[in-house]
Amino acid sequence: MNESILLIPVLLPLIAGLAVLAIRGPVRLAREVVTLVVMLANLGLAIYLFGQDLTFVHPWAGVWGGIAMEMALRVYQFSGFILLAVAGFSLLVALYSWKFMADRSYGNQYYGYMLISVAMVNGAVMADHLVVLLFFWEGLLLTLMGMIAIGTKDAWKTAIKAFIIVGVTDVCLMMGIALTGWLAHTLRMSEIAAHPLSLAGLGSVAMIFMTIGAISKAGSMPFHSWIPDAAIDAPLPFMAFLPASLEKLLGIYLLGRITLNLFALTTESWVSTLLMIIGAVTILLAVAMALVQKDYKRLLSYHAISQVGYMILGIGTALPVGIIGGLFHMINHAMYKSCLFLSGGAVEKQAGTTDLARLGGLASKMPITFTCFIVAAAAISGVPPFNGFFSKELVYDGALERHWIFYAAALLGSFLTAASFLKLGHAAYLGKRDPANEGVKEAPMAMLLPMIVIAAGCVLFGVYNPLPLHYLIQPILGEHRLEGHDFAGLPANWMLVAATVLVLAAALVNHLVGVKRSGSGLGAADHIHHAPVLSTIYDWAARRFFDPYDIGMAIVRGLSLFLWGIDRFIDWIYDSFIVTLTTGLGWTVRLAHTGNYSLYIVWSLVGAAAIIAFLMRIL
Amino acid sequence: MLSLLILVPLAGLLLLNLPFTPAMKRTAWAFAFTVALAQVAMVLVAPAAAWSQQGFLAQYFSFGLEAKDLTRVLLLAIGIVMATTLMVGRSMITDDRQQFNFVNLLLVSIIGMNGVVLVTDLFSLYVFLEVTSVSSFILIAFNRDLGGLEGAFKYLILSAVATVLMLTGVALLMLVAGGTSFETVAAAMKTSGGITISQMAVGAFVCGLFIKGGLVPFHGWLPDAYSSAPAPVSILLAGIVTKVSGIYALVRLATSVFPASGAMNEVLMVVGAASIIVGALAALGQHDLKRMLAYSSISQMGYIVLGLGCGTPLGIVGAVFHLFNHAIFKTLLFVNSAAIEQRTGTTDMNRMGGLGSRMPVTGVTSTIAALSTAGVPPLAGFWSKLIIVIALWQAHDYGFAGIAVLMSVVTLAYLLLMQRRIFFGKTSPEHAGVREAAAGVVVPELVLAALTVAVGLLFPWVLNTFMLPVGGIFH
Repeated sequence: MNESILLIPVLLPLIAGLAVLAIRGPVRLAREVVTLVVMLANLGLAIYLFGQDLTFVHPWAGVWGGIAMEMALRVYQFSGFILLAVAGFSLLVALYSWKFMADRSYGNQYYGYMLISVAMVNGAVMADHLVVLLFFWEGLLLTLMGMIAIGTKDAWKTAIKAFIIVGVTDVCLMMGIALTGWLAHTLRMSEIAAHPLSLAGLGSVAMIFMTIGAISKAGSMPFHSWIPDAAIDAPLPFMAFLPASLEKLLGIYLLGRITLNLFALTTESWVSTLLMIIGAVTILLAVAMALVQKDYKRLLSYHAISQVGYMILGIGTALPVGIIGGLFHMINHAMYKSCLFLSGGAVEKQAGTTDLARLGGLASKMPITFTCFIVAAAAISGVPPFNGFFSKELVYDGALERHWIFYAAALLGSFLTAASFLKLGHAAYLGKRDPANEGVKEAPMAMLLPMIVIAAGCVLFGVYNPLPLHYLIQPILGEHRLEGHDFAGLPANWMLVAATVLVLAAALVNHLVGVKRSGSGLGAADHIHHAPVLSTIYDWAARRFFDPYDIGMAIVRGLSLFLWGIDRFIDWIYDSFIVTLTTGLGWTVRLAHTGNYSLYIVWSLVGAAAIIAFLMRIL
Repeated sequence: MLSLLILVPLAGLLLLNLPFTPAMKRTAWAFAFTVALAQVAMVLVAPAAAWSQQGFLAQYFSFGLEAKDLTRVLLLAIGIVMATTLMVGRSMITDDRQQFNFVNLLLVSIIGMNGVVLVTDLFSLYVFLEVTSVSSFILIAFNRDLGGLEGAFKYLILSAVATVLMLTGVALLMLVAGGTSFETVAAAMKTSGGITISQMAVGAFVCGLFIKGGLVPFHGWLPDAYSSAPAPVSILLAGIVTKVSGIYALVRLATSVFPASGAMNEVLMVVGAASIIVGALAALGQHDLKRMLAYSSISQMGYIVLGLGCGTPLGIVGAVFHLFNHAIFKTLLFVNSAAIEQRTGTTDMNRMGGLGSRMPVTGVTSTIAALSTAGVPPLAGFWSKLIIVIALWQAHDYGFAGIAVLMSVVTLAYLLLMQRRIFFGKTSPEHAGVREAAAGVVVPELVLAALTVAVGLLFPWVLNTFMLPVGGIFH
């Protein structure tokens, strides 16, 4: 078996992506066909590689300070699973894009970036050397920016925002990698995994830095604020492709590697608690924002942030049940969230808008889309027996074991999630139909097929959850960590299930009350939105007082204003002060030259007298 | 051979003025021009033997002449500036009779200047200084207009003061040393240089030279003389006369005759720095082109004296190099002003503007000269100023080095202002019909500009071949 086969998942999409970028003009279908073929090949390759353990090492940039720089790629259980998931989602999104992107300009850039993104994600997932990981990680940043920028007219602003946020956190990742390499005397992940670093002293700093890189890629708070903007500006399949699936997979994959392989994270560590706090806060704040959104895509984008909280919370528990739950939630979320985004895309494509106020009553016009939406929404809300239910139960279990408050936060998040999806479904698919939408038809097959496949997957992973858990998730931890537990099958703790069902019922009641009060599905959350204290906070949030990016930019602006003042001052010294001084002196000198000749003679004589006196040492 | 540098112009002068040869008068210009070029050629190509004082002439004409490396640099500059002046003069002075007189006076001037750089005796030095000055007085008032007469008068009166000071100095030194030749004086200074009377003598003589060189505060005559003289005369005065009669003599005496003392060096540096500052600041406020260039000359002269006052071989090399460079680019600037005066009839910068498109050669060469004056690399002026600043730095005179650098910024400021006011912007309707200057002016412009650039670019060669030997004055 030749290990250099590991280069193909990187090189094939990369070369194809560059080629597609070069295709311009009337050869319309060429890029779609190339993309689909490459995605299919990539999927085949991922299936072939899954379950194998291969390592490819090639010396690359010599040895720096005792640390070898190598081109090291490795496929094993975890990375093989992520490769497979990435390949699957990429194929489905590519298929979906065939119709969705048909009449858009920049098609070659869209498909080109898509292919290059897959190459970068594959590279980052397979990387066994942290510098190689960083290389592919940063490469993804470029295509991310490119894909946002080709959206609406003002999308470049969002692209820059995303670039700055992700770029800053990537620098954190870089520092984390440098620290890790310095502590471990190697940058090979498989070598570090043999002796994970302890979290004493600098170890925890290194872990925090690397974690920032990982969770910001996954879209956690406080590195999230570009995602809702991108939902509006970027082409919709992009949202299903990067923020909803690939970046989540990649970010949580790295978080998993950090906690499982690189650092010895224990329940006693404060880093574990910190992760859980970040997770809980992300769940609550993002879902609270999602609840009040009036736009299909924007609402979904806040959920994409909120759901990351469950994964971080689960992994942060440092307990097997929580980690399994977090990783299971990662794959589940990638499925139902991309399905939801794709349904949003179908609505946008057919009805021409994603503004909930102008939608409604689409269920009878787009029954298949609606059905897929129902499945995915139920999954994200944690309704049994869909996949989201099972992964959330595992996360709850882990959270409760650490402290009840984390569990409470997660449960409250579930309540709000369910409420917001009831609102979304009601506003978009039920209720009164806007007269403008009378002629809406069901989406084309190429768009429906990916949704159906993913929705079916949601059902399958829920009803028959031993399949993913036994074959995909649990082997990642390995037998010694699982300590003989098996998390497949029905939840172990029936009390938690009862609480979940209770919360879901409460959400339904809340929704009905809200609808009755406001008279429409869209206004179902208004009584929360306009509650006394919350309304002020929501108002501030709407005015972006809480956007870390805007706060950072305000600080930068203040700093630059200050530096501008210094610059002006220096300019004033050169341009004004010195010129005035010089001309003033010149004017004085000119005044002294009166043209009075006796004066000149006096000067000469006095000067001569002074010089002679000086030389004679009288003066 | 050396005496020929004085005797040939003298003989020519006598022959041209014999009453029975009117035909020869027509050849006067050609003769003088040939003399100037021959001098340049002699410096550049003559073998070492030519620089000795031997042969039958030496028996009858025993002035005790001497040609050191420093002298050759000056002889070269004299030849170049003289040739330039002759070409511009031929182009601008149209009257035959006037031109003949002009050429005669230039021949007197060249005799005087060659004498100044060649002699080895204090009193002879004084005599040749006066020969040079006398021709300058007449040349300034050449057009017999009021301004010219005033300028000449001012120069005359202050020169008289200088004469008094120098003669006093010579007399006192005679008293101390028993002779006036450089050798005798230098030897006497070694033993009795410290006594008060010799210090007084040196001081008086040096002050006389300061007046001749127009350094602050002895500069009262210079702006008037430069600006009121006819254009070709301004070129001669600014380009070489004040340099030879003031600065060269100073360099020669300070380095090899008068004792090197800290007090003397301090005087030189203070006077130099004062000249730099006052000259530059005063130039900044002028609106008459020639007057501005005159103040600029004072300022540049200050650099030379500052380098000299440094006292180190490098400082002297810098001073002499700047002396040569200044002769070239200041001559060029005055030729430019002559071209402008020839075509527009004025030197008032407020009435100019946009001449760059009308007079491209003048505009471009003027830019080169201005940048070189301000010390912008890689032009000649940059290198000499750099050497002076480095020499000051090495001698730990950081304050003076700072003044030298700062004031070169002011230099750049007023010269760029000059460029803008004359050559850039819109052409005023008054000068709508202005053409490029005549060939007699344009050719020297091009040659001088090429020299400035070439000296800058070939700096290492120039430095090693001509300048570094000058530093060996001490040995």
